[in-house]
Parts: sequence; C-alpha cells; structure tokens
Amino acid sequence: MERRVLITVAKDEIAPRFDLTTEALLLTISESGEIVLRKSFLLAYASGDELCDLALSRDIGTIVCGGIEDEYYHYLRWKRIDVIDSVMGPVERVVSRLTEGTLKAGDILYDRATEKK
Amino acid sequence: MLKRIEELIGTDCPDLPSLLDGLPVGVALLDNEGHVLMLNKALEAMTGYTREEVRGLPCRHVLRSRACLQDCPHGKDAAPGVGIETDCINRHHRKIHVRITPVRVLDGNNRPICVLDVVEELTALREIEARLSQVADHGQIVGRSPAMKKILGLVPVIAQHDTPVLITGETGTGKDLLAESVHKASPRSREPFVRFSCGPMPSELLDAELFGRMQGPDGKLKTGRFQQAQGGTLYLSEIADLPLSQQSSLVRFLDEGTIVPVGAGKPMRASARLMASTAESPEKLVQEGRLREDLFHRISAIRLHLPRLKDRGEDLGFLLHHFMGHYATRFKKNIAAISPKAQRHVYAHDFPGNVRELKNIMEFAAMVCSGDTIRTEHLPMHLTDDAETEAPVRPVEKSRKAGRKNTEER
Repeated sequence: MERRVLITVAKDEIAPRFDLTTEALLLTISESGEIVLRKSFLLAYASGDELCDLALSRDIGTIVCGGIEDEYYHYLRWKRIDVIDSVMGPVERVVSRLTEGTLKAGDILYDRATEKK
Repeated sequence: MLKRIEELIGTDCPDLPSLLDGLPVGVALLDNEGHVLMLNKALEAMTGYTREEVRGLPCRHVLRSRACLQDCPHGKDAAPGVGIETDCINRHHRKIHVRITPVRVLDGNNRPICVLDVVEELTALREIEARLSQVADHGQIVGRSPAMKKILGLVPVIAQHDTPVLITGETGTGKDLLAESVHKASPRSREPFVRFSCGPMPSELLDAELFGRMQGPDGKLKTGRFQQAQGGTLYLSEIADLPLSQQSSLVRFLDEGTIVPVGAGKPMRASARLMASTAESPEKLVQEGRLREDLFHRISAIRLHLPRLKDRGEDLGFLLHHFMGHYATRFKKNIAAISPKAQRHVYAHDFPGNVRELKNIMEFAAMVCSGDTIRTEHLPMHLTDDAETEAPVRPVEKSRKAGRKNTEER
C-alpha cells in the first residue's frame, strides 16, 4: 500500500519549526520503497494551520518535521497522522531514510560541524 | 576556529563548562557560524537536548526560536548584547517564551572567538505580568479596545475632582467597576466606597437607608449610606429606580451639600462624592418622567458611556483570556489555553449580559476543565447546543477553501 508523506522544508533541510514553515514536500512512496510521486508546495505565509489543512486535504499518513508545538502534534495524531518530529538534517537524507523505512522521531542526519574539522 | 574554541573549553579553560553549568540561565556556546559547541545544564533542561546530542548542529535546530528563523541575530554587526524576546519550541513540544541575548567573545586582538547565546525563560515573568494586570491601576476594569482605552484614560483625570459622574451602559458592561475605579484613583481612595442599589423599596425605608434616621428620645443617628460614605464616594446604581421624592433630595445635596435624615429637624452636611449609573438612556428616562431633569443635568456633569461587549472589538478576545487566567489561578488549575473551536463558540455568542456573561462563561469553563485547555465540552450548554465532541486541540480552523487559495502547487 502506498504511503503519503509530507515533509516540512526550509531551503534544503528540514524546517526547524512546523508553525514557521512555508515549504513542504509531498512524497508518495510505494510499498517497495519507491517514490512514485514528488510534489513541492509553497505556502503564501508560514502557518501551522495551513499545513494541517494541507495534510488533511491530501490524505497524508505521515508528517516529517522539526520542532512542533503540542497543539499541532496532538491534533495531527488525533487525525491519525503519524508525526515524525524533531528530525534534523538535509531533505535528501531524510527522504532516503523514509524510503528505507528507517526514519524515526528525533533523528539527526547532519554531518556534525565538529566532525568536519 | 572551531578547534580553537574546543581547545579553549577543553584545555586552556577547563572550568568553562562547569562555570556555564553553574549559571541560572540557559547558555549556548556557539562557533562563529552558529554551530553549537555546548549547552549548559539550564539550557539542556529547557530544550530537552543534551550537549552531546546537539554538538556541532546549527543552533536554529536546537533553540528553534522564532528569532532564529525570522531575524537571526548571528552574523549581524548591529546590537550585540541586546536581548530579543521570542519563543522557542523544545523537544517535548512545549512553547517557551524566552529572551535571547547573543554575546560575542573576542580574543586579545579583538577577533571573534565564539558567541554565547544567553537564553532566559520568561514564562514565570509572563505569569506575574498577567497577574499584575488583573490588579492594574484602574481597579479591576480592563480593556484594550479604543473605546475602553479612552475611558480608562479619563479615569485619573475625573478622579481628581469631586464633580458628580453619571455612568451609562447596558447591564454587565462594568458600570460598578468603573465607578470603583474612579474612586480608587481619587484622593478619596482611603475613605469608603459605598454602593447602593436603588431597587424598589418603601419610600420611608429608602429615605432612612440613604440619608439616615434619628432614633430614640436622645436623637441618636442611625447612619445611612451618605454618612457611611463620608469623605468617600457614594455610588447609586440604577438611579432611575429612585422615587422622584428621593431624587429631589439628591438635587438638594448636589446644590447645597446637605441631606436631611428621617426624623431630623434640620439638614446636616454630607461630604460624599456622588456617582450614579443607569442601564437606560437618561434622556429617555427624563422624557418618560422617571428621572428628574434637574437631577439629570446635575449628575451628568461628567458622563461616561460603556459600550456593549460586542462593540468592543478586540476586548472580547482579551477579556476571554483575562478571565481564563483569573479563574485558572483562583481554582488552582493549569489552564493555559482555549481551543480554537471553543473560542469560536464564544465569539459567535451575542452576549446580551456583556462582560458579566463572558466572566460567568469562563468561570464555568475553568471550573469544569480538568486539563490545560478549555474545550467545547467545558463551555456552558447554551453556547454549544449543536457542538459535537471536539478534537484534542485544533489549530484555528479557518475555511479550508481559503487555505487552498493560499497554497500553490509548484
């Protein structure tokens, strides 16, 4: 069964805050982990409410985001949407983890600045 | 640069981490690119992250403050050391009001080594501010709408003089509170504020209640409201309910400053300041003969009109939260919010009972609410006749259609 995932995006990384997000990436992932549809959305302004509406209207099953306020988190859970929150890292790495089915809340996918040096 | 700071923390200055841990405020040590080098213990507790977990990450992902994302202070030359009040969302989904003050650390050659972000939690401060606003300068009357601001601005001016005041406004708009506010702001504030409701009462009893009565053969005075308010303020609510004979006694008091107690042979001086109120139009009352015209002209030397709650614009939302906080404190509950759906129910109500009705609704809701958010089911039944059980928390549920218009597919 296909999964529909909405990822909150800021430039090329996961947006640090759900309510301050203006971009989102919608992925439809097949059962085998293939991306069958990839769409970007641009909101007119940062709004957690708009994102919730977007997720509901597009039958999203999973949302991937950074920090998210209680209000939105519980609402989305109540609407039976899985929330993988506190994710940090570049979008493409997050997408890879998603297709592998290994992404979980709190994952940090950055190369640490200290590790670079 | 990062290595240099690490050396500074790790070897040259081995006590730096314990020094930062000892501070009562949150501190993030950042490199010049805004990557986290360490968090002190206070900030670990605030954000929910340990220093090891976030070492080397961009600070915007760790602090997640509005300022980080909308107006990042790092990399700006202007105003280092100036605090920014903003909010953060921690790992446990909690929104925290904070002040972030970036402090640049320079070496001996004035070159930047690193940045200290000092993060102070303002939650307690905000709560104190909210509590203090409940006992603001103007007694207990509060409001943010232009109409109320204008009235509240007049209070200190009106309070300085002894001129009679007539307050008009529908039931529940706060006439009594406004009268009390004027009294509290006046030089008479240490003297009594006496409120008298001019309800239906036998005329002689009313005279005695208002002006006092001489009792017994020795002529001892049983005090009335005028004597009780000596030096202070006498506030007569619903003045048009007073019979015309008592109204003429008030005219005499306003002209001569004297009253005649029941059974007394001669008038006696009274020094109370008179304030009165009515829920109806005083002109209409005069036309109907329920209010003496001469009294109306004397008592309305200063006239204040309190608008209906529905005409007070932003006051509805402001008072809603004001009363929510008030009753949360009173009932010792941790109520911090009202759900958007419940809020919509409240906003849709017409409030014939004005602020008093809103206050009662919030008292009921706070009493019934057992969590931290007032929901639809906590509101009185008459507000939610057609409401169904609500989502745990629903962000402002605007029209989906409107939302769609703002969403462009790329």
